Amino acid sequence: MMSHQLADGAPHSGTNCPLSAQEGLFAGYELGAAYDEMFGVQANGGQIPRPHYQPLHDRLLQTSAEDFRRRKAMTDLSMRQDGVGFTVYRAEEGIERVWPMDPVPRIIPAAEWRQIEEGLTQRINALNLFLWDVYHEQHILRDGVVPAGLVLQGAFFRREFVGVNVPRRIYIHVCGTDLIRAADGEYLVLEDNARTPSGVSYMLQNRQVIKRVFPSLFNDYDVLPNDDYPAALLDVLQYIAPESVPQPTAVLLSPGMYNSAYFEHSFLAQRMGIELVEGRDLLVDGNRVFMRTTRGRQRVDVIYRRIDDDFLDPLTFRPDSALGVPGLVNAYRAGTVALANSIGTGIADDKGIYPFVPEMIRYYLKQDPLLNNVETFRPEIPAQRSHVLDNLDTLVVKRVNESGGYGMLVGPASTKQQQDDFRRLIEANPRDFIAQPTIQLSTHPTFVDGRFEGRHLDLRPFVLCGERVTVTPGGLTRVALPKGSLVVNSSQGGGSKDTWILADKNPATSRKT
Amino acid sequence: MLSRVADALFWMSRYLERADHLARAVDVTFQLDLDLHGVLANPVEFEWNALLCMLRQSPPQLREGEDPVDAVQRWLLLDTANTGSVMSCVNRSRNNARSIRGSISPSMWRELNKLYWRLSDAALPARVAESPHDFCEEAQIGVLLFHGVCEATLIHDEGWHFIQLGRYLERAEKVLRILDSKFGLLERAGAADLPISNLQWGAVLKNCVAYEAYQRLYISRVEPERVVEFLLTNPEFPHSVRFCLTQILQSLTEISGRLPDRCDDEVVRTVGRLLNDLVYLDGAELDGEGLHSFLGNSLSRCARIGNLLQQQYALQ
Repeated sequence: MMSHQLADGAPHSGTNCPLSAQEGLFAGYELGAAYDEMFGVQANGGQIPRPHYQPLHDRLLQTSAEDFRRRKAMTDLSMRQDGVGFTVYRAEEGIERVWPMDPVPRIIPAAEWRQIEEGLTQRINALNLFLWDVYHEQHILRDGVVPAGLVLQGAFFRREFVGVNVPRRIYIHVCGTDLIRAADGEYLVLEDNARTPSGVSYMLQNRQVIKRVFPSLFNDYDVLPNDDYPAALLDVLQYIAPESVPQPTAVLLSPGMYNSAYFEHSFLAQRMGIELVEGRDLLVDGNRVFMRTTRGRQRVDVIYRRIDDDFLDPLTFRPDSALGVPGLVNAYRAGTVALANSIGTGIADDKGIYPFVPEMIRYYLKQDPLLNNVETFRPEIPAQRSHVLDNLDTLVVKRVNESGGYGMLVGPASTKQQQDDFRRLIEANPRDFIAQPTIQLSTHPTFVDGRFEGRHLDLRPFVLCGERVTVTPGGLTRVALPKGSLVVNSSQGGGSKDTWILADKNPATSRKT
Repeated sequence: MLSRVADALFWMSRYLERADHLARAVDVTFQLDLDLHGVLANPVEFEWNALLCMLRQSPPQLREGEDPVDAVQRWLLLDTANTGSVMSCVNRSRNNARSIRGSISPSMWRELNKLYWRLSDAALPARVAESPHDFCEEAQIGVLLFHGVCEATLIHDEGWHFIQLGRYLERAEKVLRILDSKFGLLERAGAADLPISNLQWGAVLKNCVAYEAYQRLYISRVEPERVVEFLLTNPEFPHSVRFCLTQILQSLTEISGRLPDRCDDEVVRTVGRLLNDLVYLDGAELDGEGLHSFLGNSLSRCARIGNLLQQQYALQ
């Protein structure tokens, strides 16, 4: 079976002259301890392209550094002219940074993708069942599968929403789940982003740019298009609209152009053909939401909001929020307007809850998880606490109730002093932390200084949940550009790659559409 | 359409038109300066100060060792400390566009963004001291490209009409202001000054991209009275005040969704009256003080149109 062969990193038997030493732009390419996406290792230690990378590898081998540099410059220019990027504001002058894209695509074969797709579908279903449950009868807490305290005292549990019936019982409509690959090539879930995940516009933009800049790469592959995402998202928004409205009006609620993800907000609004609104464009009157237009008020039925819970409504959450809409939460509660994602999803992607997702899948779906978590230790449990405290120099320690890489200890990169600080913190409040082994993310050839070098990457596929669950074929591959770095965040020298999902050539397993 | 979006479309377009006019004015003044150098006693002072006066700006602070003319050019074209400079206007236009990126076509954004990056690219400003021409031309072409793309790629619905409003209101005001700043020349003109007068009124036409159009209509020397009449009342020339007001009226009726003769709101009435005054203008009124008061009156009515638009459509 193909997937088996890939998981083992077995060499491709059909190659006539296996390369033990690399040539061309690959000269000096080094494999580390991590799984490399393009190259497997032969018994004699030589590097050999995995079968699905062979055509790309051969084509890149014929490319000169000069030619590749030119195409890389074209991608940068294209991104800059389209204004793709995030904004860093310094005083009143906006500094725009383009998120660099590496033109070597990341390729995922059909069989691997099917496994990811099924795993993600299973996972979002379980998370939605979990959210409905904890905001209603709380069976899973009473059965002791998830500790009640973790949920009820979690910073992202919205007490105000207990008993509220959300449209179609869906809480998470848009999920961006971060996957990484372990040294043996297994895909693992690093975290679920179930609040307002971003990055999908880069996924779409990267494809547009690489088609413009490097069309010949597509000659050897049948790449599944990812272009349907905005339409699929609009389907979801219309599906959750109040049922009495025949032609619902959906809008995208953005914090505005100073938000770092503003490019994505306007991109999606435009592709869906809906209005991008800011808080000041909306008003609530009689529990109904309206937008202020040149012809007076217009009713709004569905809001795809890209504002966090805390800032959504100054009457319910943070009173100092100028981004939100006073009265919005009550309108939502009254069912006159739908929100995507719903309020309170933060308790499902909290780091403290994460270790229990596999149990949720067994509990609600009576299935074994198709995608595994990264092994996680909970210092709250005495036996695991001693393991964590003894191995602070090799583990990654994360604070629960936090997101975005705050409050973390990366063991191998930390000082003795930092480890001691965390030791004290963990001993004082063990339930506030989890710990995981430091995973060497998989590597991928990336164009650096005129040649290809291995750089670590992850994968964020985008999952939509409406009438059905849709996993857009593709995802955002983020690359850590500094050598050896495991941090893929855009703010810390990360870049991205186009992500190719290959069409299934086998008619027996291909899905009928 | 969201009021905020309408507002941003209006100002995106208005700032761009402002940048266009200013870039052209600097370029025209630069050329005129070269022409008048050997003829007038102090052309530099005369022309550049007249330009600043028209823009209602005081002369900029000189940097150490800086030539006064270089300073004016830098101040009007590049300096972002001057909120009215070409660079500032393009920047503001782009910021407005960015705040409503979803409401304009991607190629419009791209064109505006390219313009911004071209003008900010260090190479272009560096050449301004020698000649502002490249920079000015780049700015004007960028604006034309933007409107070309807009014309061809954006639905001509409400939003498009707000773009037209911003563009033509700014243009009408600028043409009126150019004429107003030059009416003094009318009185001073004598037979001996003919070649110079020809140059100066030619410059007025060039400021309004009207030189060739005028020449086609009136063969011979540039005659001040005809220039004034042409720029105020020609029904077919895109930079005449009458043409601008016709466009404004048309966009306003489209936006309100009513028939032209049923439009009874304040802003339509104000535009319609000013337009009528231009259509039935008596050329004999346009000498000296008569012209001055007509232009002043028209300018304040244009300002009123802007204010009424804000009220009517809850623009911010």
